[in-house]
Amino acid sequence: MTGATIGIALIALACLAATFRMLRGPSEADRAIAGDLLLFGIVGLLTLYGVLVASPYTFDLVLVAALVGFLGALSLARALMRGRR
Amino acid sequence: MNPMSVIGEVLMVVGALVFATAALGILRFPDAYTRISAIGTAGGLGIVLVVVGALLQHPTVPDLLKVVLIVGLQLATSAIGTIAIARSAVLTRTRMHRPHYDELTSGAASPAEHVPHRAPVPDHTSGRSTPRQEGPWQ
Repeated sequence: MTGATIGIALIALACLAATFRMLRGPSEADRAIAGDLLLFGIVGLLTLYGVLVASPYTFDLVLVAALVGFLGALSLARALMRGRR
Repeated sequence: MNPMSVIGEVLMVVGALVFATAALGILRFPDAYTRISAIGTAGGLGIVLVVVGALLQHPTVPDLLKVVLIVGLQLATSAIGTIAIARSAVLTRTRMHRPHYDELTSGAASPAEHVPHRAPVPDHTSGRSTPRQEGPWQ
């Protein structure tokens, strides 16, 4: 349990850093990268919270989140190109 | 507290430390391309370590199957997503911090159409092949 708590604290710090870069970032690419890191951080937080509350559905949710995260990264890349390929 | 649970907790903390290094990179690196290189490790290795550590807390066979699926998909797709964002950053001419030379955009109106897809056609009339176009870095 202590490992999950320490991990939640560290990943929450990473999510705060990503949010800072998303708000501050000088270019649009920086904001897209921060969105990507925030998405990975949410997946990690979901996993560790599932360990903490001993939920039986943790890995189903993480599997769906990983798939949606891949689509989200590709959508961010497409949005950065203004819809061109 | 069995040893497998301890190994799982160590793996979760190591994965979270990978996330922390990615956060340090996204805060301290000077331009977008170095920040992208910091994110790629967190997306692949960090998620995989955290998920395997979470499995080792209460390992069961259905969870093992799901974790194998998650690890394979994550290792295969996170690098593709990161590289797609990096490619969009190059094509939208994002500024690079202190560039020495730029192979992708040198002298081309649009770098997407400039990339040669095949070798230059040999010149049969003179008997020797046409020289390749050389960039300014050579």
